Amino acid sequence: MSNNRVSRRQFLSYTLTGVGGFMAAGMLMPMVRFAIDPVLQKHEGGDFIKTEHKVADITEEPIKVDFTFEQVDAWYKSDVTNVAWVYKSGDQIIALSPVCKHLGCMVDWGGDKAYPDQFFCPCHAGRYEKNGANIAGTPPLGPLDEFEVQEKDGYLMIGPARANTLV
Amino acid sequence: MYFNANDVTSFLAQKDFIDTAIVPLVGIDFAAEKLKQSGAEADYLLSLTAFIEQQFKGRLLVMPPFSYSTTLKNEELPAQLEAQLHTAGFKHVFFITCDRFWTNIGDVVNIIWLPAIPLESMDKGVKNTILEDQLRQVIPIFSTKWSQI
Repeated sequence: MSNNRVSRRQFLSYTLTGVGGFMAAGMLMPMVRFAIDPVLQKHEGGDFIKTEHKVADITEEPIKVDFTFEQVDAWYKSDVTNVAWVYKSGDQIIALSPVCKHLGCMVDWGGDKAYPDQFFCPCHAGRYEKNGANIAGTPPLGPLDEFEVQEKDGYLMIGPARANTLV
Repeated sequence: MYFNANDVTSFLAQKDFIDTAIVPLVGIDFAAEKLKQSGAEADYLLSLTAFIEQQFKGRLLVMPPFSYSTTLKNEELPAQLEAQLHTAGFKHVFFITCDRFWTNIGDVVNIIWLPAIPLESMDKGVKNTILEDQLRQVIPIFSTKWSQI
């Protein structure tokens, strides 16, 4: 027989302490979680969406860049593909929204043969400069919106739209 | 623009600019062997119409699809519908369909007939490219009509 025998009384008290401890922990854990909830909230990695285009490949000629994000409408999730016109101006990458400020059609770069260096809206012949400024005398009343851009691992990331800052 | 309360409000406010109506003609064939084909056609047609809407949002109003079964098909309907849309203030009315039948009346109303491409087995990227290609074929039809005034 070993020297440190566990008596019945000791055994019961160990067991009760252990079980009691678990029960207390079970009650306290959710409370602690509630208390520090803001710290545990997941961050969605900003609102920037990765595109398939490398920043190094972007030239001064605007190209169409697709970017897809998941849109949640109540319980219904769908993939939404958005488009941006992206080009380089000096060292800066510019991403413009293709949505015409007049009535919401999609503008095209160089869509009008007479003005190859402008954005052209086929609906009502609205035109914009390369930096998105609307050309007076055409229907649009404001400049094209601009997307925030970032670079990550060499790829272009497109963020939320904001009012044009170039005009 | 779609035929819903919000878009119709902007249509009423911008009647000078939104002068085109587009009506998808969707045939439904209930014969067991044709049912799937007609489902694929409807899917293709409505996806393409949504794509056209996105492109030309500010100039067209997409009507709810005009659907008919084989026995309801009537050569005079599009012309009547067109007349009413003209009265409502649309200068241009286009009917878009996958049903060959309507090409018969192509000289009475504007019919855009496109052979259906089955989209159900494609993934999203391929689908978009196909629809974009189709859109490129349809754009000239609109722009020539629009430049005729």
